[in-house]
Amino acid sequence: MRVDPYYVTNLVGSLDQAQASEEQLSSELSSGVSINSLSQNPVGSGENVLLLNQIQQDDSFTQSSGLVTGQLQVADSALGQVVSQLTSAISLATSANNGTMNSSDVKGVASQISGILSEVTTLANSSYQGQYIFAGGQTSAAPFATSTTTSPAVTTYSGDDDVNYLESPNGQKIQLNVPGDQIFMGSGGSSVFKALNGLIADYSSGTVDTTQAVSDTTALSSALSYVSQQRVTIDNSITQVTAASDAVTNVQTQLTSAQTDLMQADIPTISTQLSLTETQQTALEDVIAQLNSSSSDLFSKLPG
Amino acid sequence: MGTINSAFGMMSQTLDADQEALNVVANNVANANTPGYTQEQPNWQENQPISIGGVSYGQGVTETGATSERDRVLEQRLDQQQQMASASGSRLTSLNTVQALFTPDSGSASSTAGDIGSDITSLFDSFSSLEANPTDNALRQNVLSTAGTLSGDISNAAASLNAQRSALDQEAAGETSQVNALTGAIAQLNQQIQTTSPNADAGTLEDQRQQDLSQLSQLIGINQITTENNGLAITTTSGQLLVSEGTSYQLTTGMVNGVTGFFLGNTDITSQLASGGGSLGGYLTARDQDIPSALGSLDQLAYSISTEVNTQNNAGTDLDGVTGTAANPLYIFNQPSIGAGSAANMHVVMTNPNQIAAAGAGDGTGDNSNAIAMNKLGNQSIVNGQTPSDYYSNFVTTLGATVSSVQTENTAQNASVTQLQTQNNALSGVNLNDEASLMTTLERSYQAASQVFTMLNTIIGSALNLGDATAVS
Repeated sequence: MRVDPYYVTNLVGSLDQAQASEEQLSSELSSGVSINSLSQNPVGSGENVLLLNQIQQDDSFTQSSGLVTGQLQVADSALGQVVSQLTSAISLATSANNGTMNSSDVKGVASQISGILSEVTTLANSSYQGQYIFAGGQTSAAPFATSTTTSPAVTTYSGDDDVNYLESPNGQKIQLNVPGDQIFMGSGGSSVFKALNGLIADYSSGTVDTTQAVSDTTALSSALSYVSQQRVTIDNSITQVTAASDAVTNVQTQLTSAQTDLMQADIPTISTQLSLTETQQTALEDVIAQLNSSSSDLFSKLPG
Repeated sequence: MGTINSAFGMMSQTLDADQEALNVVANNVANANTPGYTQEQPNWQENQPISIGGVSYGQGVTETGATSERDRVLEQRLDQQQQMASASGSRLTSLNTVQALFTPDSGSASSTAGDIGSDITSLFDSFSSLEANPTDNALRQNVLSTAGTLSGDISNAAASLNAQRSALDQEAAGETSQVNALTGAIAQLNQQIQTTSPNADAGTLEDQRQQDLSQLSQLIGINQITTENNGLAITTTSGQLLVSEGTSYQLTTGMVNGVTGFFLGNTDITSQLASGGGSLGGYLTARDQDIPSALGSLDQLAYSISTEVNTQNNAGTDLDGVTGTAANPLYIFNQPSIGAGSAANMHVVMTNPNQIAAAGAGDGTGDNSNAIAMNKLGNQSIVNGQTPSDYYSNFVTTLGATVSSVQTENTAQNASVTQLQTQNNALSGVNLNDEASLMTTLERSYQAASQVFTMLNTIIGSALNLGDATAVS
């Protein structure tokens, strides 16, 4: 049986392979990442792209929801104050309507309601980070202004009906604003400003036209309940944003864990493989040294 | 005739034969480390016996030269396997450079900048952030900045691929001169072999020819056809003639569509060479198949993202209240006209963040419906029927799978080459132990023949003396 006289060359080839393997394992160990090139795990690399995409989207939503929560809370608190202002306006009007007040008291009610009107106007022109939150899409200018040229005065709305939504990664649409005209100038006579302007006109002369005043007071009451309803929309949005953000954070945690499992180097396995490779390398080196050192051919054994 | 003289003759012939055989052994030992050397065995030929009066008398032995121990079939198999291993080896080297451009993002804070997958997500996320506050300048700047990062990474990757393509082109072109030199040398050797030993193994000349063939097969895929009078015809793997007996045909190069094409005579054989094997085949496969495929995918990605985002932005109203039109478009990216080259040319043209149209067409500037629409593009099938992230994910998986399969092929082929090399060495390599034992045998044979010679000398002396013991010593 013939043998390959150059077999030591093959051993050296194996030694090179063992060394290359050792280098790769060491670099995996030091970087902590198990997939350093696409060919190591093609399917895993593709999955990694998708997982990271989802994780980043979730992260972005969490940040955005933090931003919008502030805006929604400002809207909610403004509307809360509007409700308490309107409640005091109604009680003032009611006491003026029962006929027990004298003329100067009635005029006093008119000026108090006038103060409430300007307070409510300021609240309706609330802004958050420089943008007017009750102006629909026209957020660069204050939406409400009162003109006193007529009696009763007229408050006009210069915003629009635009509603903005925030979309969560799973497609949920959360309403971010309610247009000012919808809240304060609602249809069917439940307009806050119309009622307030009407009441001021009713009481400013000192004499109360009871029918008109009562009708305006009723209008203000229904406007108040309307505002409270609109406030519910904002409150719902706050709840939705919190819930969506929590849900997204949960999903993000799971995805992050999956992605980490995919990419992270399995330290125990690598350490074992590395130790085996080092053993193999040492053994090969010894064998090669042994074979080369001993005079291993017949020539060296012939006499003379 | 059985005389003492003829015995002398036979013995001196034997001594000659042994000496010649020892020369063969010495030659083997001297060439033990010469690459491509095939060990030689001395040939012994019994001389024709003569018959006199019905009695047959042997005529001794002659050494009739040396035979190289070679197996042509085994050598051809080795060449073929080396061809394939060479091809997959050079293709693998090129592919490893390509895949290094797309190393996976490990997801940690210090992970690779320049990962296109993350850049795609960042771009569409920047629109999502804009939904929360469409008029915010910092968020708008962020859109432009993520767009810049994405287009920078894509165009860099495309530029690297193009550069690699040129480098491969030069490598491949450079090999032509080597191929031509080898085919020329083989043609000359063919001539020499055919004239000097048309019917037998040509020894050293054949060793040289086999060396050249082995080198040639590592460069370019070849088929070997043995012809009459120990000649050899070489064709490329797809049948174009390179060497026929004493004539060799030169490979020439020329530019075809911006890359080097390879010609034999007037025929363009580039595509046949690419699938033929050898390192030239590997380089050409990488240059004409793998790299264009990767570039094509990047072009598709860049084209789709650029045009879709541009179109959507142009359909909205920006912060200055301007709505996009066909005449004065609000484009974020450079609008590509065709797919090819769009990756290399991808860049951001918008400089004013106010021009990002977050609001719907005709809506107030606080509206965010167009920002929502632009964010949604990231999850719509805008790139060849897939979302941008899905498309990139598939691209990465396909590339990785290709590299992995070429790696497996290459490892298997190298193992096969090693095995065949071992077999070939076992047959044709100089085994010093065998040479030592043969040498010892021949020495003993020489000693024995000399002993016989001495004895015959004594016998003749006795015959000459014939009774008188001291006449001749």
